[in-house]
Amino acid sequence: MFYSEQKKQINLYNRRTFFLYLIKASLFSIVGWRLYNIQILDSNKYRTLSKKNQIDLEIIFPVRGKILDRNNILIADNEKVYDLYLIPEKTKSINILLNSLSKFIKIDFTKRRKIIDLSKKLKKFEKIKIFENINWATLEKIESNKHNLNGVFVAEDYLRIYPYNEVYCHLIGYISKPNEKDLSLPFISKMPNLDIGKKGLEKSFNSVLVGKPGQREVEVNSNGRVIREISKIKSKKGKEINISIDTRIQEYAMNLLKSHRAGSINVLNIRTGEILCMASTPTYDPNKIIKKPNKIYWDNLLKNNLGPLTNRSIQGLYAPGSTFKMIVAIAALKHGIIDTKISHSCNGKIEFGDRLYHCWKINGHGNMNVINAIKQSCDVFFYEISKKLGIDKIASVAKDFGLGKTYDIFLPNQKEGIIPNKEWKKNNIGENWYAGETLISGIGQGFVLTNPLQLAVMTSIIASNGKKIRPTILKNDHKDFEEDKKYTKEIKIIKEAMFKVVNEDRGTAFASRLDNAKFAGKTGTSQVKRITILERESDEFRKKEQEWKNRDHALFVGYSPYDNPKYSISVVIEHGGSGASTAAPLAKQVFNYINKL
Amino acid sequence: MIFVKIKNLNFLLIFLLALLSFIGAAGLYSAADGSYEPWASKHLIRFLVFLILAISISLIDIKNIYRYAYLFFILSLLLLISVEIIGVLGKGATRWIRIFGFSIQPSEIVKITIIMALAKFYHEVKFENIKKISYLFFPFLILIIPFFLVIIQPDLGTSLSILLLGILILFLVGIRIWKFILGFLITLISIPVLLQFVKPYQKSRIISFLNPESDPLGQGYQLIQSKIALGSGGITGKGFLQGTQSYLEYLPEKQTDFIFTLIGEEFGFLGSIFIILIFLLIISICYFVSIKSSHTFGKIVAIGVGSNLFIYVFMNIAMVSGLMPVVGIPLPLVSYGGSVMLSVMISMGLVLNVELNYNVKKFNYA
Repeated sequence: MFYSEQKKQINLYNRRTFFLYLIKASLFSIVGWRLYNIQILDSNKYRTLSKKNQIDLEIIFPVRGKILDRNNILIADNEKVYDLYLIPEKTKSINILLNSLSKFIKIDFTKRRKIIDLSKKLKKFEKIKIFENINWATLEKIESNKHNLNGVFVAEDYLRIYPYNEVYCHLIGYISKPNEKDLSLPFISKMPNLDIGKKGLEKSFNSVLVGKPGQREVEVNSNGRVIREISKIKSKKGKEINISIDTRIQEYAMNLLKSHRAGSINVLNIRTGEILCMASTPTYDPNKIIKKPNKIYWDNLLKNNLGPLTNRSIQGLYAPGSTFKMIVAIAALKHGIIDTKISHSCNGKIEFGDRLYHCWKINGHGNMNVINAIKQSCDVFFYEISKKLGIDKIASVAKDFGLGKTYDIFLPNQKEGIIPNKEWKKNNIGENWYAGETLISGIGQGFVLTNPLQLAVMTSIIASNGKKIRPTILKNDHKDFEEDKKYTKEIKIIKEAMFKVVNEDRGTAFASRLDNAKFAGKTGTSQVKRITILERESDEFRKKEQEWKNRDHALFVGYSPYDNPKYSISVVIEHGGSGASTAAPLAKQVFNYINKL
Repeated sequence: MIFVKIKNLNFLLIFLLALLSFIGAAGLYSAADGSYEPWASKHLIRFLVFLILAISISLIDIKNIYRYAYLFFILSLLLLISVEIIGVLGKGATRWIRIFGFSIQPSEIVKITIIMALAKFYHEVKFENIKKISYLFFPFLILIIPFFLVIIQPDLGTSLSILLLGILILFLVGIRIWKFILGFLITLISIPVLLQFVKPYQKSRIISFLNPESDPLGQGYQLIQSKIALGSGGITGKGFLQGTQSYLEYLPEKQTDFIFTLIGEEFGFLGSIFIILIFLLIISICYFVSIKSSHTFGKIVAIGVGSNLFIYVFMNIAMVSGLMPVVGIPLPLVSYGGSVMLSVMISMGLVLNVELNYNVKKFNYA
């Protein structure tokens, strides 16, 4: 009995042991079957999934959009250039390779050192850029000797070029590597090495010109070596931009300016507001900034105290001088201070307060009405009327004619200048306005400061009988300008005077008239303040320099043709002497040139 | 006497254990990107220490182990309770306790003492009494107290494996199948009560198990990554140290619960199956020892240890291959971690001991 119970128990244990073992073995089989499914049947699927984890994205830089002038002439282009790369692992020895390469292209010692040092730091399969934009002749030699140059390969790149060199420098600007601040801009995210516009239109239109980056998905093994390309999305070229400038006029104006140290010529199409020419000197060559090394060139630019990087058309501020007289005259006519018949007598000076205010003509003009006062640019007449007008009324008219403000022309760093009034002086200088300052302002001196483009816009508004002209730098961007009847009557009188300035005997610009295509205009000569510290220096060169620096700025504004104005112009020559002698002849040449186009 | 015993040790078993821990060390070496630090060297040192411990245990008189089985169980329960108390005082859940400078998990130790306590209990029970319900009460207590203590840690994986271990042993001693079914139904009914002990992160693990691809960056992420690692290994694997998944740090906890996927990636299906076969062989040895043993205590201990090992291995591989939720069960001797290795090596020491003492008689009166 006891014995059989024990036997029964042992039998049960054996049965259950066997059964348990069977269960475990079969559960292991299930796991094994599961692994079979994952590791053998579905292996391909998981292998690709596994690869997805090691896919690198390479950004393909887009080609920057070109910039063309109004006649589709390329003014910012991309030139295909060739860069030379070296892959260390594909060479037998870097030294030997560099030796054979030096038969075709000069490799100096420091460059050699650099390449070798770099090859030690990088992984063997990583490419090293050894030369940038090599020329055709060299490229041909290298290509034809490829069998001797294992490990060297050539890659295409694009280099921004500006075919007109300095002609467009201030307008277009240039491109360069982005700085820390630029990197936060949305359009260059992911492309920290892409050159972007740093100045001018290149900068303003970055988001349009940059284009869209493409990308290449590449399979990378655990060491980072690219095994194969998986997918490629091509980059999208940046958009092309047509600007409103006419290269012919631009180039012509630049040439005219070459005979002066510094100046600016601006031509506007009055009907469309398109800027046809925006020339400013001195200049720089953006191509020389782009091509590295550029340090010496840069240093020279920065040393030049005339400021070649400044776009004088929008950043140069000058007292408008007599070109401001149209504004004062319009204000006086508008406010009933004068009509066409009222004259003031000019004997060369007037006394106001305890000061004498001189006319440029020492002996005086005699009796002057408004038309003659503009034609002969009589200062005393304008002292008289601005005394009666007061500064605030002059300022308000000036602003209606586009002065004292910046325009929506996509050019960065425009300077708005100063159109002073009582409030302005209180806020900015902290003093009350003196009546004498009104007289000075009335002839465009004193606090009044304008940039050359503003003067061209002012002239366009006058020429168009008061249309609210807004300048634009883009081709075909104009809207119809609102006709403003506010000053129609006054403008008519002013235009008659401006016609006489150029086309009547004794007009200040009579010498610059064009008989076959008459234009109208107004000269200006603005005084330059003396800098007494410099004056004291007796050095001969300094003296000469000082002489130039003390000379007056020469200005001219005008429009052509006089009876149906299409173009307006502003010419400013820094320290050019007088508007009549220096600026007006340039305007005549430009108009003449345009008429012949 | 001792030398005779040592001579009679099951060296095949010892060899297989060593082989597994070497494979584990290789995997850890690879997981550390080809370095002995921080895991592989420690792993091997631990194994050596624990192997000496296991052999020492195998040389103890089995009658003493038998005599003190309940004491061991109670001591391990006290450890487990102290973990709870430390957890409450430290205001945070913990599974660890520091003894003599070592961090160990009492929940791993308790599995062995459960096996010993149940073995002692059924060794003493007369065969005709086993089927009586009243005789189920004590084994039930032995299981449910540690189960409860572990699930509130909360450690779902370990508590489930304790339950499973108990069921397997109870099945062995002859409990009727219908009683398991009844117990299962009772458990099912008590699930709402149990759910109160399941923490949100455990719930999300269960949910993510049901649909891992729905949440590729959350819980399911681990599973997808481990399946990618296994699957990309193919038949023969990518080769030692060539597992890209683990190099690229995609695998979570690659050195502990997911070490099998790394080996599966580098050595492929053949490597995976090889590991499973070693485990199966060790489990088979346990069964062999059980059958060989003339006494019930030894039979139950051997099968209990084998079952314990089986539960680890099955749950771990089922988990990383997506057959089971990710519950946090390591692969013994291969995964990094001292507690499980200690627990498994102690239990292997017991199996060695049983084999050396397979025909000891007159247990009760020792």
